[in-house]
Amino acid sequence: MKRDSMAYTVLFTFLVCVFFVFFLSLANESTKDRVASNRRLAERSAVLSAMGIPYTKDTIDTTYEKSVSTVKASTGELYRASVGGKNVYAQRFAGPGLWGTITIILAVDAPVEHLMGLQVVSQNETPGLGGRIDEPWFKTQFKDEKIGPQGIRVVQGSGKGDKDPNNSQVDAVTGASRTSQSMEALVNRGIDDFRKAKNEGVLQ
Amino acid sequence: MSAAKKKGKGTEVLLQNLWYNNPIFIQVLGICSTLAVTNNLTNTAIMTLGVSFATAFSSLTLSGMNKLIPNKVRMIVQVLVISFYVIIIDIVLRAYLPDISRSLGPYVGLIITNCIIMGRAEGFARSNPPLLSFWDGLTSGLGYMGVLMLIAVVRELLGFGSLFGIPILTALLGDAFTPWTIMIMAPSAFFLVAMVIWASKTIQEKAKASKQAPAGGTK
Repeated sequence: MKRDSMAYTVLFTFLVCVFFVFFLSLANESTKDRVASNRRLAERSAVLSAMGIPYTKDTIDTTYEKSVSTVKASTGELYRASVGGKNVYAQRFAGPGLWGTITIILAVDAPVEHLMGLQVVSQNETPGLGGRIDEPWFKTQFKDEKIGPQGIRVVQGSGKGDKDPNNSQVDAVTGASRTSQSMEALVNRGIDDFRKAKNEGVLQ
Repeated sequence: MSAAKKKGKGTEVLLQNLWYNNPIFIQVLGICSTLAVTNNLTNTAIMTLGVSFATAFSSLTLSGMNKLIPNKVRMIVQVLVISFYVIIIDIVLRAYLPDISRSLGPYVGLIITNCIIMGRAEGFARSNPPLLSFWDGLTSGLGYMGVLMLIAVVRELLGFGSLFGIPILTALLGDAFTPWTIMIMAPSAFFLVAMVIWASKTIQEKAKASKQAPAGGTK
């Protein structure tokens, strides 16, 4: 068969595709469980951190299974755990950021008066600017923050973190106004959902 | 004889790819990723290693099957082979280095579109034997890596005050250090790449001029 004939071209392309795709599927299949377990651990450790439950790298699964249960509300599935004798609820929320979807785990106390914590599960914001929402100084601002009538405000502050847990506001990320606004919208939408779930009697 | 000749060729390829024909400051290829990833040394290191790996192995594979590839679908096959290696990198990172995979995000997939890989496949691997093509791909990747790491050192140090995530300037100067926000954003890489091109061209031109001076007489 001539190298530039139609039949050879079609046959060659077909065989080359089969060959390479076979090895790709093999690689994908053999790492599937590992990838799934990485994802599960990331999600579970985010839930635990948001709720303020201590864990170590090796005890993520056992701690999670021991302390976290799920309850259903019309707004979705909520995680429930008892922390320091009080019930804490968490839920996964996703919303638009500047470049892509931001997914967070947000935790509140049962009366929805205080945030318990926030963890970022995934984001595609600008590395070094919006991407800093994943840094500890930004996330710890939400811990024990009092929820105001309007929810939480993300404001222009020192850019180093708001230390007052009673003013219902946190510092925005310097140079990332759009990402900060997205976070504000996302957190407040989450608070609204928690309030709805509370009115349904799910949060106790 | 052939061994010595081969060694000479290998050294020649190395010098070309690292300096005289560097993918970044002479060929000006792969600039997109230079702008995107270089604000952080860890990401830059992983990304450039990925590019070196992908270039080396796709050049090896393509050079090996060169005689079999029909002309009409040459580029399609090149892209197929390149994507194959890049997806392998992505799978390995996702399975064994989930944190790095998370912070690199879409950048790994974008290695496929890195012009250097296709450039080497078209420009070198097509007309050279597999092992030499592998070496050419690897050294091209290293030439790319060298420049990107240099830029990343400047950007991370001034933008975050750290190197590989370890605080340097912030630890030394404390609050007196103000991060240069511009260094974190893509435009600063434009300036830095331009400065690298400027410096390397000046040095190369000077070297050329001093070589020619004795033979050429007056200037």
